Amino acid sequence: MSTREDHSDDAALAGEYVLHLLEDAERAAFEKRLADEPGLRDLVREWEAQFAVLSDAVAPVPPPPRVKAGLEKTLFPVTGAGRTSIWGILAGGIVAAFVAVGAVLLAPLPMDSLRTSPTFTANVAAQDGSLVVAASFIADTNTLEVTRQAGGAFPGRVLELWLIAEGVDAPLSLGVLPEERAVRIDVPPAIARQLANGVLAISDEPPGGSPTGAPTGAVLATGPVSDV
Amino acid sequence: MAFLCYWSFGHRYRNTQRSEMRTGNRVIGRSDIEDMILRVALGDRAAFSALYDATSAKLFGVCLRVLSNRAEAEDTLQDVFVKIWHKADLYSVNGYSPMTWLITLARNAAIDKLRMRKKGHVDIDEVYDLATGAPTPEAEAIASSETSRLNGCLAELDADRSDAVRRAYLDGDSYKDLAARYDVPLNTMRTWLRRSLLKLRECLTG
Repeated sequence: MSTREDHSDDAALAGEYVLHLLEDAERAAFEKRLADEPGLRDLVREWEAQFAVLSDAVAPVPPPPRVKAGLEKTLFPVTGAGRTSIWGILAGGIVAAFVAVGAVLLAPLPMDSLRTSPTFTANVAAQDGSLVVAASFIADTNTLEVTRQAGGAFPGRVLELWLIAEGVDAPLSLGVLPEERAVRIDVPPAIARQLANGVLAISDEPPGGSPTGAPTGAVLATGPVSDV
Repeated sequence: MAFLCYWSFGHRYRNTQRSEMRTGNRVIGRSDIEDMILRVALGDRAAFSALYDATSAKLFGVCLRVLSNRAEAEDTLQDVFVKIWHKADLYSVNGYSPMTWLITLARNAAIDKLRMRKKGHVDIDEVYDLATGAPTPEAEAIASSETSRLNGCLAELDADRSDAVRRAYLDGDSYKDLAARYDVPLNTMRTWLRRSLLKLRECLTG
């Protein structure tokens, strides 16, 4: 009898909790119990699921774009003002000669046929691990094997791979990464020679890659090239 | 890396419209949303952006309904998505369906804000007219059989009482609000509502 009463009491209490009808003190006491009582958590989950269907009556309202912009700024903040310098300033076209390289959409290739030992490798990663791309360069064939291990392009955008060579400010495009996870890139000998001690970087670009030959979107991931 | 930077957010957002349009033309199902949440749990920003595009209008609607204030609803929506980014890894263990989880997060955040506002000053600026908000076909419906089941059970209650439950859930009405609306003492209101909840539960689990 008392168990049954307790149970129905709890069922009503859980419903009141889900509806946010409890006063602060009651709510706090209930939450304290929630931590220790799985049965109570089940009741809450059931009510949440039951009541959630009431939201079908709520019309979707597109939020203004500033909400998403603010969200990205909060979660993925812009770091120091001086850091925009290298690529931003040089976006003008010093590297126009390399545009042709960037414009080529790289074809995906099966990776299992490539087992020559690499000369250089780089782990190109976002600070928070949201994008991780492993790259290894095979000097014999002048090819760069690129494997995307985590993350991907934003909807309607592409990822473009760049080399920032030692002592050279302007990044050199190595091409747009296709949707496939693994790809082999033929690196022109002139660029291959500059890989040592360079840095690989990936930027967010419009479809087809940067229209200017220099990165135009956010730099999502970077990683130094190291000797094997 | 010293040059790791975001100097050009504009480029990303110029594209937002296009991806929203594309999302609008697709039917986004439960497993799509679930897949996005699971990828967000792995820190996938693209998935986060897609999840936002697919669900933000519904969640903004929920926040607006509770808060009746655009500025507050925008703040709340942003807080909700910050929470989603940080807590997506908890999703797979909490046993909620994806839309229930998202709606619950949004509604809880909105009601917390509403209660805070009511404790402090009342801000009647920017009141949003909800009368215009009719349900639209593209509203992500949770399984319609569940909807009709709950509505069927609500219909078994007296009209006032089912209305009170809806007001508590959708508008974030407190016992005080409801007591004033139905012109009954607070304790009577509470007794009514608790009885309604038990009847509802009996109907839903029966």
